Amino acid sequence: MSEQQNAPGRGAAPGSAIPPPKEQMEYSCADCGATNEIKSREPIRCRECGHRIMYKKRTRRMVQFEAR
Amino acid sequence: MPAPRRPPTFNTLAREEAFRNPPKNGATYSILNEFVAPHIESFNNLFDDGDRRGLISLGVESIGKRVVFDGSGKESGSWGNRMQFWIEDVAIGRPMVPEKDKHSINRKVFPAEARERLTSYRGKMTIKLCWNDPQGQRHEMHKECGLVPIMVRSVRCNIAGMSSADLVKKHEEPEEFGGYFIINGNERLIRYLILPRRNHVISLLRPTFAARGPSYTQYAVQIRCVRPDETAVTNTLHYLSNGSAMLRFSWRKQEYVIPIMLVLKALVGASDKEIFEGVMMQDYGNTFLSDRVELLLRSFKMFTLSTGDQCLEYLGDKFRVVLNTPEDWTNSAVGAHLINKLILVHLENPRDKYRMLIFMLRKLYALVSNSCCADNPDSPQHQEVLLPGHLYAMIIKERLEEILNAIRTSISLDVRNDVVVDFNDKKYLQKILSKISFDIGAKLANFLATGNLVSPTGLDLQQASGFTIVAEKLNWLRYISHFRCIHRGAFFAELKTTTVRKLLPEAWGFLCPVHTPDGSPCGLLNHLSRTCRIVTATLAVGHIPAVLSAHGMTQAFSAASVDGRKNICVQLDGCVIGWARPAVAKQLATNLRIWKTEGLNDIPLDLEVGLVLESRGGQYPGLFLFSSRSRMMRPVKYLANGRDDQVGPFEQVYMDIACTPEEIEVGTSSHVEHNPTNFLSILANLTPFSDFNQSPRNIYQCQMGKQTMGTPSTALQHRTDNKLYRLQTGQTPVVRPALHNTYAMDAYPNGTNAIVAVISYTGYDMEDAMILNKSAHERGFGYGTVYKSQVVDLRDLPGSTKTGPAQLHFGLGKEITRRPEDDPHHCLQTLDVDGLPFVGAHLSTGDPIAGYIDDTTGRTRFAKYKGDEMAIVDQVRMLGSDAGDSELQKIQVTLRITRSPVIGDKFSSRHGQKGVCSQKWPAIDMPFSESGMQPDVIINPHAFPSRMTIGMLVESMAGKAGAMHGLAQDATPFKFTEEDTAIDYFGEQLLAAGYNYYGNEPMYSGITGQEFAADIYIGVVYYQRLRHMVLDKFQVRTTGPVDPVTRQPVKGRKRAGGIRFGEMERDALLAHGTSFLLQDRLMNCSDYSTAWVCRTCGSLISLGYEDVSLGSVATSGSIRPTGPGGEYCRVCRAAAEQDDERQRAALANGDAATPPPKADLHVAITSQHVLGRASKGGDLDVVAVPYVFRYLCAELASMGIAVSLAVS
Repeated sequence: MSEQQNAPGRGAAPGSAIPPPKEQMEYSCADCGATNEIKSREPIRCRECGHRIMYKKRTRRMVQFEAR
Repeated sequence: MPAPRRPPTFNTLAREEAFRNPPKNGATYSILNEFVAPHIESFNNLFDDGDRRGLISLGVESIGKRVVFDGSGKESGSWGNRMQFWIEDVAIGRPMVPEKDKHSINRKVFPAEARERLTSYRGKMTIKLCWNDPQGQRHEMHKECGLVPIMVRSVRCNIAGMSSADLVKKHEEPEEFGGYFIINGNERLIRYLILPRRNHVISLLRPTFAARGPSYTQYAVQIRCVRPDETAVTNTLHYLSNGSAMLRFSWRKQEYVIPIMLVLKALVGASDKEIFEGVMMQDYGNTFLSDRVELLLRSFKMFTLSTGDQCLEYLGDKFRVVLNTPEDWTNSAVGAHLINKLILVHLENPRDKYRMLIFMLRKLYALVSNSCCADNPDSPQHQEVLLPGHLYAMIIKERLEEILNAIRTSISLDVRNDVVVDFNDKKYLQKILSKISFDIGAKLANFLATGNLVSPTGLDLQQASGFTIVAEKLNWLRYISHFRCIHRGAFFAELKTTTVRKLLPEAWGFLCPVHTPDGSPCGLLNHLSRTCRIVTATLAVGHIPAVLSAHGMTQAFSAASVDGRKNICVQLDGCVIGWARPAVAKQLATNLRIWKTEGLNDIPLDLEVGLVLESRGGQYPGLFLFSSRSRMMRPVKYLANGRDDQVGPFEQVYMDIACTPEEIEVGTSSHVEHNPTNFLSILANLTPFSDFNQSPRNIYQCQMGKQTMGTPSTALQHRTDNKLYRLQTGQTPVVRPALHNTYAMDAYPNGTNAIVAVISYTGYDMEDAMILNKSAHERGFGYGTVYKSQVVDLRDLPGSTKTGPAQLHFGLGKEITRRPEDDPHHCLQTLDVDGLPFVGAHLSTGDPIAGYIDDTTGRTRFAKYKGDEMAIVDQVRMLGSDAGDSELQKIQVTLRITRSPVIGDKFSSRHGQKGVCSQKWPAIDMPFSESGMQPDVIINPHAFPSRMTIGMLVESMAGKAGAMHGLAQDATPFKFTEEDTAIDYFGEQLLAAGYNYYGNEPMYSGITGQEFAADIYIGVVYYQRLRHMVLDKFQVRTTGPVDPVTRQPVKGRKRAGGIRFGEMERDALLAHGTSFLLQDRLMNCSDYSTAWVCRTCGSLISLGYEDVSLGSVATSGSIRPTGPGGEYCRVCRAAAEQDDERQRAALANGDAATPPPKADLHVAITSQHVLGRASKGGDLDVVAVPYVFRYLCAELASMGIAVSLAVS
């Protein structure tokens, strides 16, 4: 897993540019399931329902298992 | 399609449907809500429903008002202005989102959120603080008392009464039944505790009582009096050898003893004659009694108090300071307050108290005269249960009382310090209140989190800690057992005697005889039987005295005219309501039972009618009626009218309850059990064919069932438990008791049906080892997963500030190289750009689990994964704050660890037959039957003869037949008889399926293909995988960390330590004469070290160095370093130099050289060494010694003890 894609789970990443200081990620609300885009240092709160728990979405990066 | 031949017995489709579409109008399994009812209902008791009879309201009422004076009239001798203050209207709300939050659509907080966010599930508590200012004007103020933890599914819970479908929507189990609190994300519950039965006098015989003081004896009677608000005071009446009696009670953990006569007189102003008549009850021929009563009356003469008022004043005078009553009360008011607050508090009327005290005296004298026996306080007959809600009520009441006391103390302090106290000044009162902590919620949360009771009064309980436990969701069996367990009390755990642990016949039907742990808590930690209930409602019994007196009872007020020899006392909840002749009492008891079972005369069904008739030296007679809360009750059938009856442990002792309808003896039996298995707990009921097993094996199964890796929860996605064990391939057992379905066991499977052959096959099945078929293992037999949770809270990490804006933020800093071309930072293997781990990432020890940026340094730091096994990130939760207004500071990561069965893992059947997997045997080498079946599991036949778990053999047959016919076999105990045997029933089924009648089959060796000489017993047994796994236990080390002081290997698996090679192991090696092994274990592999020892003085600690590389230092002649590196003995050199000095001085003075004064030091050195030593100043040599010995020498030297070694 040495070849590391920049910012997986975000689709097209800015390949060469230095990543912006405020990362914006997608999370899903633990209550209503809505996808929320939360930048770092923003409060953890669902924009739809105001819930206070977010789940990190499953990675879209390839996860390789050693089947033994 | 042809119709099915039989109705389905596994109900797979119905269960599947119920799981997919949970019922919208109720619970899937309603019985689950019943067995936690005492928890929830007792919590609901806290609150008023319509009336003002909630426990908190009653408590507030009982606290009363406090009075304080401002001391303005000090000079004139008055106390000054009077202010009265009290608490009203205590309200506890539902858990809600704080007001600050403006975004939430749903303002309710649900338990799932508290669990996931690792917070507490609590609601706001407010009180109304009222006071009368000196003008008598009433003021009030609302005060917030913090957030109080709320019991899940109680009336204050947001998921109370929800249907299964709604529960699933709220991320709960469809079978969620509540009964616990959520504290910091953990589910904690208050365990039932056994207490002495309330409002009932028990006689005690304790030799320790005699040691209480001069003339005290071992005799006493005791009553635990409980107020309507569930707070209790215990009164003990001690018998003194001079015939009188002393009443003992405790107030704020301090014990007080007062003569009973003082109380009797103070209560009703009774004359000596009245007391004499009351105790004697016309039994004038009884000289034993009359002598003692006479002594009792005479002994009181020294007090020279004759009237009731004098007694009250005397009491008030003595107790004024202790009770802290208002200063303006008269002595007799204080005395009355004492009696009201501390003596027989379950009764309000002084006359009732008087009658009860007279009864206690009579019972005490009866005990002393041996006409009745002492009661056994360990018997459930004299016990009841401390319920969670009631304990909660006691704590809340005490905290409220403490608030009032604190206000009073604070004002009094100001008065004493001459601070201006003005009761009309709101500001002053504000200042006083601001000094007082109103946060009851935090105190309750602390109580629940630790189980420690911080209380100035002790709440009349025997212990101050261990009230709460974590409801571990290890598997369903363990989880539900928590809610039924009942503890005897921490005090009894350290008791040397084992009498309290005894299983008493009185416990039948209330406490399960099977379900108790073995080991230290055995017999102290019990579980309620399946049908045992605990009464949580107060019953309407006000009319009972009238009903009884209408049917022949003599009323209590005419006691003086009642003959005590011919009448027995009738009591209702510890209040003497009358007297009756034994025949009448018997008739009354029968009438009451018929009325209560048939609902006549408004007699409640839960009334306990304990009729104790006169017997020689038996229990003290009387007709004792109990209607109070906290009693255990259980349903049985009343034979007289065929109705359901509820019986309690007090009355059960005097009943004849047949176990089965066949056992009914006409004329003797009064009741019959609804079900012969009702005396077993839920878990004990789930052991199949438990009546076939030797009884300890059933105890072991109750243990192991709770340690099984099963299905802990169906809402796994919403759980944040520290550790969860999950069996991936759970099945429903083919052989199960009928109750398996009742208690939703199929919703939480706990094991796998395995084909088990009982054969000694490979040699790897000795000593309870079992062989697993490798193919079965590969198909997923017993495959499990462990879920662990790791929390990263940035506020707990170094560099964070407790207040103000956060200094640490999740994320990766700029210095983390990300582009693939310039060698990306290693943390990007597991971490996303937000600093959180990828869901699905594989972690091994030391991998970063989260990255965070420190604002002060600007650097990125990492939190590490600490476990030693490879784990997969299952879920990453970002936890916000209560109001949802702060940035991310806390994450919770659920890690998944795969645990496929390996050699060394523990398995067990449901019959206490545990074993360790010793081999995973290839399928081709497994034995096979004529039909080609191979066993999944092979166990050794030696497992059976000594353990006598015939139930397992029957299960094997039944399972085999059930598997062939597609039947779920009923394994309820006590279904078969000598005439209708289980063997025959299942043997016939096996025959019908084409097998041998007895379940054995010819089998062939998997290796040679030859048929075995013996037929092999093979069948289907439900196997549980236990959570004890080698991966959590193995401990191995060659070299590793050592203790810095002793340089011996450290202990403990976590620290990579070793296993102690102890004295007994040493003895074994000694006995074998294997000295090299001994040397190796205790020296070379432990703290081997070499040390210089001086052959002259034998010292280990006198080593000195000389730098020989620069040539010899100017030390004269004979004193030379003795070691090759310039080592010398400092002690011997100093002695030699001194010696030289002295000789030189002697030469100069011309005196004879006197030898220096020698310390008394004996050195056992062989003479050749002493004589032939190379040089003065010591002769050093290297020896191998344990390092800890060198340490010992140094320590001894520090105490002035020289150790000298003889080196030969």
